[in-house]
Amino acid sequence: MAILKLHGGKQATCTRRVATVLHELQVPFELIEVDVANGAHKSPEYLKIQPFGQIPYIDDDGFLLYETRAICRYIAAKYPEYGLIPTEPKANALFEQAASVELTNFDPSASKAGLQLWIRKMGYPFPTDDKIIADNLETLEKKLDAYEAILSKQRYLAGETITLADIFHLPYGVFVTYAGSESDSVMNRASRPNVARWYKQLISRPSWLAYLDGVTTTTAY
Amino acid sequence: MVLKFYASQFVAAGNGIVALALAEKQVAFEFVPIDMAAKEHKTEEYMAMNPFAQVPAINDDGFAMYESRAICRYLDERFAGQGATLVPKGMKGRAVVEQAISVESMSFAPPLSKVVMELVFKVHRGLAPDQALADEGLKEISDKLDVYEVILAKHKYLAGDDFTLADLVHYAYAPMLGENGVDIMTAKERPNVARWWNELMSRPTWVKLKAEGMKSTV
Repeated sequence: MAILKLHGGKQATCTRRVATVLHELQVPFELIEVDVANGAHKSPEYLKIQPFGQIPYIDDDGFLLYETRAICRYIAAKYPEYGLIPTEPKANALFEQAASVELTNFDPSASKAGLQLWIRKMGYPFPTDDKIIADNLETLEKKLDAYEAILSKQRYLAGETITLADIFHLPYGVFVTYAGSESDSVMNRASRPNVARWYKQLISRPSWLAYLDGVTTTTAY
Repeated sequence: MVLKFYASQFVAAGNGIVALALAEKQVAFEFVPIDMAAKEHKTEEYMAMNPFAQVPAINDDGFAMYESRAICRYLDERFAGQGATLVPKGMKGRAVVEQAISVESMSFAPPLSKVVMELVFKVHRGLAPDQALADEGLKEISDKLDVYEVILAKHKYLAGDDFTLADLVHYAYAPMLGENGVDIMTAKERPNVARWWNELMSRPTWVKLKAEGMKSTV
């Protein structure tokens, strides 16, 4: 059986999200870099596989799949022993609730502010906008008040154990902290001790630490 | 205890897709209207059910949950074997549905919300729409629909030849476009998208829901 191929970008945000999950599940993979700078993702050959011209996609022994969260869900379902997607019906529903919270209550503002903050940090030659960053961080602060309420009752977003719903908060959950300092940022405020506790647990996971300098082919764990 | 469905009166957004999923799964439920104008979603009682103070939410005999997409998935499992199957059970079939659901969230919904805000919400409230922003959104939707055209040339619905949750999530906002004179979903240049969208708009469960509105089945 062929090694799983992750087609994406070494530093690309969504490629990093998939790599983090592959690492959590100890799945060997080969990173195949897509030359986005030169428009490789818009070529007719690429569009046949990923018709939206986006990265990443995976090739799992011939099975092609795109959309980060769909990829992560597929891999997590292959290795249910890790419990990243609980299977018991009510636990599964609470996982879906938390996954939807990330999608609708966290990602919109975190990705907008996070992407801009990441561009600035990496020094990429793209325009950024102080107002977009500020407005989205303000929205995020309010959403995290609800997170504080949830996380004051349980360790992780779907219950006592970590699931994909928590891990989906990477990497944007880290990028939004670039607007603050290590001791005080939107994810790490004294006023939201439970969010801070949960955030620190996320960023100390080996799967996140493994690719701090970018995603690399990982054949052994 | 019969399932309680907490939602606003409007057959749209998360309220609309859960109402449709309840109909698709033939679930008996009690509709509990949440009057957002009267800030009923901000009461301590409601926020105990949904700390984000959003609608809808359900309470299935003591099991409470929120987030419309999650609720739809739960209903599909909970009432498996009755009504439509919204998500197939096989690993790869399920992955392809998740792929299409993710496309809606990440690529379709954001530009759609721009257009709905300008051309539906603002116009309803007598506010002047920002036509430049609306046009920007329409161009983005059009670009995404060009890809949908390629996908829908291969099969009847977004994830294959059966109606799934991937199609259902599109009922949240896109119906408002046609209702407000924006015909992008049925544009002649994209015959497959038009075919698919007309199928969705004429689906009997949807037609009945729109005609009768939000109401308890019991």
